[in-house]
Amino acid sequence: MTWKMVSKVEDVKSDKKDTKKKSLFTKHEISMLGIRSNLVQASFSYERMHAPGWTWAQLPFWEKIYKDDKQGLKDVMTDNMEFINSSPPLYPILMGLLLTMEEDHVDRTTIKGLKNALFGPMAGIGDAIFWFTIMPITGGIAASIAKNGNVLGPLLFFAVYVFLFWSRIPLAHLGYNLGTRAIDVIEDNSKIISHVASILGLTVIGGLIASYVKMSLVIKVGTGSGAISLQKQLLDKIFPNLLPFAFVFFLYWLLRKKVSPIWLIVLTFVLAILMSAIGWM
Amino acid sequence: MTITLTQGILIAVWAMVAGLDCWLQAFYIFRPIIVCTITGLILGDLQLGVIAGGLTELAFAGLTPAGGTQPPNTVLCGIMTVVIAATNKTAPTTAIGLSLPFAMLMQYILLFYYSSFSLFMSKFDKYAEEGNARSFKRLNYIPLTIVVLSFGIVAFLSAYAAQAPMHQLVTSMPQWLTHGFELAGGILPAVGFAMLLKVMLKAQYFPYLLIGFVIASMIPFSNVLPVALIGVVFAMIEYYRSRKDAKVEAKMKELETKGDDMEDGI
Repeated sequence: MTWKMVSKVEDVKSDKKDTKKKSLFTKHEISMLGIRSNLVQASFSYERMHAPGWTWAQLPFWEKIYKDDKQGLKDVMTDNMEFINSSPPLYPILMGLLLTMEEDHVDRTTIKGLKNALFGPMAGIGDAIFWFTIMPITGGIAASIAKNGNVLGPLLFFAVYVFLFWSRIPLAHLGYNLGTRAIDVIEDNSKIISHVASILGLTVIGGLIASYVKMSLVIKVGTGSGAISLQKQLLDKIFPNLLPFAFVFFLYWLLRKKVSPIWLIVLTFVLAILMSAIGWM
Repeated sequence: MTITLTQGILIAVWAMVAGLDCWLQAFYIFRPIIVCTITGLILGDLQLGVIAGGLTELAFAGLTPAGGTQPPNTVLCGIMTVVIAATNKTAPTTAIGLSLPFAMLMQYILLFYYSSFSLFMSKFDKYAEEGNARSFKRLNYIPLTIVVLSFGIVAFLSAYAAQAPMHQLVTSMPQWLTHGFELAGGILPAVGFAMLLKVMLKAQYFPYLLIGFVIASMIPFSNVLPVALIGVVFAMIEYYRSRKDAKVEAKMKELETKGDDMEDGI
């Protein structure tokens, strides 16, 4: 990761060593920041993405910081209405970090530069962890229990996500307490974490393809007693789940050719209905 | 069975709750496994809701809104899968396929909002420039209300008002078409996985995909937990190796700069 603002950030760090930090906010208020971080997508639009919700979530805190400084409040609101896009579950840590800086009245351009440098990479890590690792694993396990009619499946799923919901509180505290030191923690670990999350995620996706994509031919080749089942006596002998694997990669190839996902869904239905009509599947 | 007006209203209320969560992504109760279960509860057939939830969750495994794409809406898909299965006595796998048009309708409504909510931005900017915190906070409730009401209305019309024509359509479908929808429900996860691969797959990660696939094909087990644990093993090995690499790299850089200094000295 290139770090444009390094020199400025270093300045901030050395400044902070001299002044002993007085916290304006109680522990409870920082916990509320974690809960309020759920509002970031409230007014989502392609133009600004999370900006209005992001501003809304933090507004009560800025009102406290800039209680007697109307211009300060105007500036902080205007600055934060700029385009923001990152991974929603990681916003508490970013909000905590930026709140410390806001409280210390760090230079506005420094805060802006930090946001630009930090948010993009954080989006990548967040997606890799939350959507591509936790979601397939939790969903896959919960669904395999629920498929048999066991209500433990949805309950397990719900429990995992309630836990993740509450984890926003410690994350907000972490960001707030670490302050600018959080930048080092994120910078040191972001590459490795997204790397290992990709490994875990792809291993699971490999498993999911084998377990959950159901394609199997029923057609027989040949006549009378010499007829062989194409699926059982040929494809399964080469490798089980060969068709699902090949089909996923066919769709992957189409996606790389910039075919829209909607067309892939349409194609899947057309193929399935065709296969059913001619009696192959 | 038919959906009574009370059930229709309850479904609409549930759609608004799940729809709000779908918009904000807070509790993830907008995922099919939860949506189907609660809808089953409303229709008095929890068992059906849970089973449909498991199957629909799998069909939607990779269809996530990550990376700027908006997939067919899970709330509408979940509700309609259970509604269609319960009212027409069709298998849940077939119902998933039939619920997809409703899910796509909601998807396009949300895409429309993503574009049109830009209209609120100048108002937001104005309040920000004025430092008007109160109006700024209040303005956020307008898009939220629009979204929540849309979910309620679309769900009510789909589940309650459209049930008679839906029933007619489903009962008049020939057997090969019903079976085709059932097959499609089983193949559908492939679309989601392909989308995940498009974002995540790099040549260096292909071996992990392959080993996950091979293990799951060879071990007869009812869920992906064993594969996930093997993935954790790889991840841990790679984690410690990468950390060591990073340290070595840092050391090398240190030595290099020292070397430069010495050259300067000579």
